[in-house]
Amino acid sequence: MDRDAPLLAALRAGDEEAFATLVMRYHASLKRVARAYVSTEAVAEEVVQETWLAAIAGLDRFEQRATIKTWLFHILANKAKTRGTRERRTVPFASLARADSEEPAVSPDRFQREGDAWPGHWAMPPRPWDDPERRLASLEAREHLRAAIAALPATQQAVLTLRDVEGLEAEEVCGLLDVSAGNQRVILHRARARVRADLERYFEETA
Amino acid sequence: MTVDEIVCREFAELATEYLDGAMPDETLELVEEHLAMCDWCRDYLRQIQTTARAVADAAGPETAPLAPTLDALVDAFRAHTRGDGPR
Repeated sequence: MDRDAPLLAALRAGDEEAFATLVMRYHASLKRVARAYVSTEAVAEEVVQETWLAAIAGLDRFEQRATIKTWLFHILANKAKTRGTRERRTVPFASLARADSEEPAVSPDRFQREGDAWPGHWAMPPRPWDDPERRLASLEAREHLRAAIAALPATQQAVLTLRDVEGLEAEEVCGLLDVSAGNQRVILHRARARVRADLERYFEETA
Repeated sequence: MTVDEIVCREFAELATEYLDGAMPDETLELVEEHLAMCDWCRDYLRQIQTTARAVADAAGPETAPLAPTLDALVDAFRAHTRGDGPR
């Protein structure tokens, strides 16, 4: 369901607080997605501001066929593509994504090799995490996690943000970013796998 | 990928596809056979799920825009509401 739906009437009535709430809620996510299209932080920030201005202008015409969130990301994708083209960064998202998705999800040396007893099976299996929810609740752990996300390639950040932070469906993300279902899934998995590996190291260091 | 079974290295690539319920039936069957036997891959799968949840929780209000940006946007919103239009 659209958790922003209650804001809509207030937005249309010109309630500034409702608008500020919407900006606070989505600004960072919009920026992470914009970053996948354009070359610098500063340009991404501009694209997000253009997105908000377009949303303000379009608010009266918004028909609740999509959620406000999906609508915002659609405006953003259009602005970001236009800007990316104007920057002559004409490489489409899909081919940027391909370059990011060639590494394996888990380092090959964690598996047994040809000639070992069980080729392809774990040589260094993941150790179960002890009470991860509790350990992830600390401020330090959250900082660590945020840094790990920020270190991902831009395309992976974009897909991870749309799927795991904003909770969009796979098909919606494919539509927004012009990627195939398979490609979308590979990028998402790369992103999760990298963050998982990071958390694994963090949990071992802080055990 | 081998035809008759999936090994851990292959499952490590397939966890998100499995969680999305996007697998063809033949692959799904092989994956479920593998997971039934392999504690380690079940641990790995759980960690991928925990990671996805943790990512959602980590993106907090601390990532909000800088105050001047927010003020400028609220000004634009006010201007539009009063009928001046944002541009």
